[in-house]
Amino acid sequence: MKTEEYISSGILEAYAIGELSPMEMAEVEKIISVNPELKAELLRIEIAQEKFLSELAVAPPAWVKDSLLKKIDQAAPKAKVISMPVRDSINIWKYSLAASFALMLMASFMAYYYRNKWIESENSLAELLAQNQRMASEYNTVNQRLDKIELDIKVVNNPDFKRTIMNGTANAPSSMAYVYWNETTKEVYLSIQNMKQLAQENQYQLWAIVDGKPVDAGVFDSNAAGLLKMKDMTGAAAFAVTIEPRGGKTSPTLETMQVIGNVVKG
Amino acid sequence: MFEYFLLQIPSNFNNFPHYSFVIETTTSDISELQLVARLREKDKAALELLYNRYSGALYGVIKRVVKNNDIADELLQDVFLKIWNRIDGYDASKGRLFTWMLNVARNQAIDKTRSREISKESKTGGLENLVGKVDKREFSEQPVDSIGVSESLLQLPEEQKFVVEHLYFKGYTQSELAEEFNIPLGTIKTRLRIAMIQLRKFYQVN
Repeated sequence: MKTEEYISSGILEAYAIGELSPMEMAEVEKIISVNPELKAELLRIEIAQEKFLSELAVAPPAWVKDSLLKKIDQAAPKAKVISMPVRDSINIWKYSLAASFALMLMASFMAYYYRNKWIESENSLAELLAQNQRMASEYNTVNQRLDKIELDIKVVNNPDFKRTIMNGTANAPSSMAYVYWNETTKEVYLSIQNMKQLAQENQYQLWAIVDGKPVDAGVFDSNAAGLLKMKDMTGAAAFAVTIEPRGGKTSPTLETMQVIGNVVKG
Repeated sequence: MFEYFLLQIPSNFNNFPHYSFVIETTTSDISELQLVARLREKDKAALELLYNRYSGALYGVIKRVVKNNDIADELLQDVFLKIWNRIDGYDASKGRLFTWMLNVARNQAIDKTRSREISKESKTGGLENLVGKVDKREFSEQPVDSIGVSESLLQLPEEQKFVVEHLYFKGYTQSELAEEFNIPLGTIKTRLRIAMIQLRKFYQVN
């Protein structure tokens, strides 16, 4: 707002008579502190107000003043100002020297103390930040695992997924694995129950028997956890797992068959 | 050293051109800033000086607002006690000492009339309050003489005189005045502004 506009709004008069809200007052005080023209205008208003009210003054009864002064004496029993006895100046110098020395010692100590505190806090802050980062990444891992488990549970609980139990062959009587297969969506998941550890160069390969012929359904390692997504499949009558060189083959090495199971019709 | 510092302030203060009239208005021997400094040190003699200088102007406002001698006497004491106790709250950069004192006095006086109205109301119910309002109106229509003859006030046009009287001497706030007499608040503000300009001319404050 322009200075003249501000002045002509009458806000300074309202300020002088004490009419403004605390917020408006603060605003006026701020503005007059930076605008000497407004400050001078306010001063003129204040002086006119003062002269006007002085002209209309009414003398209060004399006893009011006495009573007021008495009240002040009662409210504040005289706090006697005791003047410091004046000592010779050498003493004062001595004292001030001692005082400065003490102050210096105190300041050095404080500086040292707070520096240590500061370093300490820096260290703990770095530690906390690292810890925080670790927690965050751990949280992420856990979250991912949780997502995986939730997905697995959905598959296992979904009645559209037919479970085929593949039992161990004579090659590996104690081995066992499940296949979850959804005929409509064609999705295939494998769940390892018990499969022995393989040499580094080998991998398990899952086969589906479709129209009497083995069809590749993907390779996996023995240590895989949870459900493994395999290749989509249609018209499987049975599933089997063989041991193949890493990466798998186009046709199964039947002698190495580990587990096999027929898809239950129905 | 401290004293030297205090003495320095007013002299610097007066070097600014817009403050050149400060000295002129503080007619008695000690300046306003010195007075404040002494009050802050709880100098009782300074309070007496303050009282001698300003009690009349403040009493003039208080008495006219509360319209009761006993209450006015008591209020004037309260006001000066408040000034004495709260002098640290006064900031010279925000306005003159008298302005600050006037605000304390006017607010106290208005509060007093409010609390009287409220206690009246609580005793006899809303009807009394209505009567109180009518009273206020009647009082406001009395001639200026009841306020005291002031040439500065007499030379003002009727509508400006009305605003000045009600704001300074009848315990009205601007918004109350606007509401009760159906005058837009902006109009009241402008009227007060124009009236103050007239008063400034009258008292040759330029």
